[in-house]
Amino acid sequence: MPSDRLETEISRIRALAACMCLLLAVPGIELARMQIFHAGRYRSSLDRQSIRRVRLPAPRGRILDRNGKCLADTRPSYSIAVYVEELRKPGSLSRTIEAVEAAVHRTGGIIGLRPEIGPEDIRRHIRQRAPLPLVAWRDADWKAISRFAEYPDQPSGVDVFVEPVRTYPMGRLAAHVLGYVGKRDQAAAEEEDPFSYYLPDMTGRSGIESAYDRELAGLAGAQLIRVDAAGFKHRAEMEREAVLGRDITLSIDWRIQRLAEEALSDARGAAVIVEPFSGEILAMASSPSFDPNRFGIGIDPEEWRELLTDEARPLFNRAIQAAYPPGSVFKPVVALAALDSAAASPATTFVCSGSFRIGNAEFDCWQTTGHGAIALEKAIEQSCNAYFCQLGLLCGHQRIADMARELGFGERTGIVLAAGGMTENPGLVPDEEWKKRRLREGWRPGDTCNMSIGQGFVLATPLQVAMMCACLANGGTLLTPRLVLNPSDGAYEAGRRVKCDRRAIEIVRQGMRDVIENASGTGRRAHVEGVELAGKTGTAEYGPSHARKKYTWMMAFGPYENPRYALAIVVEEGVSGGITVAPRVAQIFRGLLALESHDSAAGGEG
Amino acid sequence: MMRWFDRFAWAARNMKWTLTLCACCLLAIGLAFVYGASFVSEETQVRPFFQKQIVWAVIGLLIYITAAAFDYRTLCRLSWAFYLFALALLVIVLAMGVERYGARRWLAVGGFSIQPSEFAKPALVLALAAMLNRAGEDLGAAGVLCRVLGVAVLPMLLILKEPDLGTVMIFVPIVAAMLFAAGAPRRTLLSLTAIGLIAASVVLAIVIVPEKAGMSEDDQARILKLAGMSPYQKKRIMTFLDPGRDPLGAGWNKLQSEIAVGSGGIFGKGFMKGDQNTLGFLPRSVAPTDFIFSVIAEETGFAGSAAVLMLFAVLLMSGLNVAASAADKQGRLLCTGVAAMIFGHVFINIAMTIGLAPITGLPLPLVSYGGSSVLSTMAGLGMIQSVYLRSRRR
Repeated sequence: MPSDRLETEISRIRALAACMCLLLAVPGIELARMQIFHAGRYRSSLDRQSIRRVRLPAPRGRILDRNGKCLADTRPSYSIAVYVEELRKPGSLSRTIEAVEAAVHRTGGIIGLRPEIGPEDIRRHIRQRAPLPLVAWRDADWKAISRFAEYPDQPSGVDVFVEPVRTYPMGRLAAHVLGYVGKRDQAAAEEEDPFSYYLPDMTGRSGIESAYDRELAGLAGAQLIRVDAAGFKHRAEMEREAVLGRDITLSIDWRIQRLAEEALSDARGAAVIVEPFSGEILAMASSPSFDPNRFGIGIDPEEWRELLTDEARPLFNRAIQAAYPPGSVFKPVVALAALDSAAASPATTFVCSGSFRIGNAEFDCWQTTGHGAIALEKAIEQSCNAYFCQLGLLCGHQRIADMARELGFGERTGIVLAAGGMTENPGLVPDEEWKKRRLREGWRPGDTCNMSIGQGFVLATPLQVAMMCACLANGGTLLTPRLVLNPSDGAYEAGRRVKCDRRAIEIVRQGMRDVIENASGTGRRAHVEGVELAGKTGTAEYGPSHARKKYTWMMAFGPYENPRYALAIVVEEGVSGGITVAPRVAQIFRGLLALESHDSAAGGEG
Repeated sequence: MMRWFDRFAWAARNMKWTLTLCACCLLAIGLAFVYGASFVSEETQVRPFFQKQIVWAVIGLLIYITAAAFDYRTLCRLSWAFYLFALALLVIVLAMGVERYGARRWLAVGGFSIQPSEFAKPALVLALAAMLNRAGEDLGAAGVLCRVLGVAVLPMLLILKEPDLGTVMIFVPIVAAMLFAAGAPRRTLLSLTAIGLIAASVVLAIVIVPEKAGMSEDDQARILKLAGMSPYQKKRIMTFLDPGRDPLGAGWNKLQSEIAVGSGGIFGKGFMKGDQNTLGFLPRSVAPTDFIFSVIAEETGFAGSAAVLMLFAVLLMSGLNVAASAADKQGRLLCTGVAAMIFGHVFINIAMTIGLAPITGLPLPLVSYGGSSVLSTMAGLGMIQSVYLRSRRR
């Protein structure tokens, strides 16, 4: 073979070698590009396809009464759950489903409960939430849980799963204040980064639960789960623990709350008890009530419909959502308006003949035989309609309306419950302009008479009446009702001195003391041995003339010289304030005194 | 008996050690990652792929030494027998092969499955080395060229019938490199290249144009059938050109393989800690076989993947070194053919793993799980050693 041919062949082999090296450099450079310069991008696509974020709900903070008594708590709920990834079988999905089903059946045999989930539930779970535990028995009772826990040979892949559940240890107590929770609407979740999965979580739907939801809810935790290609959990990557929600301390005293609720146990109505110098609500009751525990792990739709359609409206917080004609509890407002404007003096006397006629309207006094000629203090004590009609006419409706507004009527008190979706009723203080706008009618003297006895268009919530009562009790400061004592709620506004002559207030207070303490007073049934009280009864008629019904009222504060409590109670369909409500006021004050002596005895021991 | 033993000992003692070292390193890496990638579950300790691969590696080493001990000139004389045997296997596989993933590529032999197309490659290298050697100066002549191409195309057609497009493609660089090294005139090489390019464009046109032109599905299928292609092959080509069109099917492997490689970073995630592999995003059916390189790249990072690439480069260079110093033309051609065969596999496999080439289903020699591939590669390397042992330099 000629050597130049050999040379050619060898040089061609060398060329092939060079060519291969060059070609191998191509994937080499691409590898460097991918693995050195763009590794982060590939890692994030890896994470995107294999990392799932699970939202871990935070246990809600507690709601405590002013003594630290727990009114709303979070308890662990024990469920029995299947960890599907541990039961996974190779091959078709139905084999895994069979394995899960078999485990559920075996567990059911151990704990003595019928399986609540079937193959369809298992299939849906695997399709939608495969990396999460599949809850087979939610909130199982302790017997089932302990039977399972003590069983020596537990089926693999089945375990107890703990979730926080809202519970109200005092049952119905203060239900309207506490409110209730409902399943969190995950679609509306305000989190910035979306989660792949949400565990059931509760959010406040009403009352303090809703108004302070942000504080109570805490901070949801998150778990990052690495899933495999089939979507099953591979391992937990990271966990950010949920942060327990803040506790909320209410101004409510659970014992006083219980007194208020007991006083309403046989009636529809509301009661509000206030500390008259701080505006702290000690009790707020509305009857009928409901058990917020029914909402604990999500209320069943049937029960929910029942609560909503109940004619007695148990979810309705009558203390702030209902506005009633105040009847005679409004008379102190009229008296203050007349005295403050100097239209009348304590000595101003009118004659009561058992009724008062103006135009063709007639206003009966409850004392059909008439009170004769009486002066202001006595007229308050006797709650004389004829007197107040004439006083009202003398003073003029505009001054009454102004004074009513000064005392907080016709305007929302601003209680925090309103922030919880529990719309506060502003009540109504009518005047000429209002009547023209709403009824396209002029103001008539009869309207003034009606207003003077708290009937007609005037409407007030029990809370408004209680706050006015507190204002009279403390000598003229209208306070903002306070329901939450947490110190960081510093923005609380103390209240304002009402623009009213102090002597006028003193005169009205004296009249109110006579209402209870005089043997002839309309509120004498509210008298309690050992304490001097002041108050005012009220009876407002409503409904068609052939079936008149009465809202019966009483507001009261005491002790007279140094008031510690101011309250307002309304009872629907009562007989009269003096007969229906006054005994309940007495019952409450007796209870309050008993509590005080119990506390001082306990304090003395300590 | 003693004579044989002496020959083996002599061969083993005098072999080119760089070649042996590279081959053993690659085999060891392959075994490790076949073990890692054929993970079934925590409970299942048995990894059948791994156990079988050990057997194949041992047999492969035996074949390696045997081939080295044999004089390659004897093998070349017998090359027609190997060639016919390989063709017979290819016919048998078409008749009674095991069908998997829509293709008949495997013969089941006592618990093992063998892939006849793998053995066709070294058989063809041997046959071509003998033929081109005999042809000598007449390579420019049309008759000689036609015979050579006929010998090459026959197994290609049989393999195309299986169908196994990837393996067919690997014959092209083998034949081209051997013709080139045999000293074929430049004119011949250029015209062959031109013909090849035209043929490739025609295939692409058949696959793409009807769809782009908006023909009905039926017409598209008819054209494909006329061209002798299966819809499966069309799909593979289309997936390479536009992986987005089948993200859960064929495009999935490509996408997941790229994520695996890229996320490996510089130093990787650690042996058996590759997420793409352990989480099954890189399908378990392909992780130990065609996509073993992406498992290596993910778990050992650029450091490991570049090292594997370097091992192959060293292997190929020492193979071509042997070619350059071979005692005769047959030896040169044999070494060149084996190097081209290994190079073709390595280049296409790695390029496909990192998304530069279509998903063809070619193994990474010595590393991927698969007995036939290990045996044919080791046989080829053994023949290079045989050439080396009888070369001018010794």
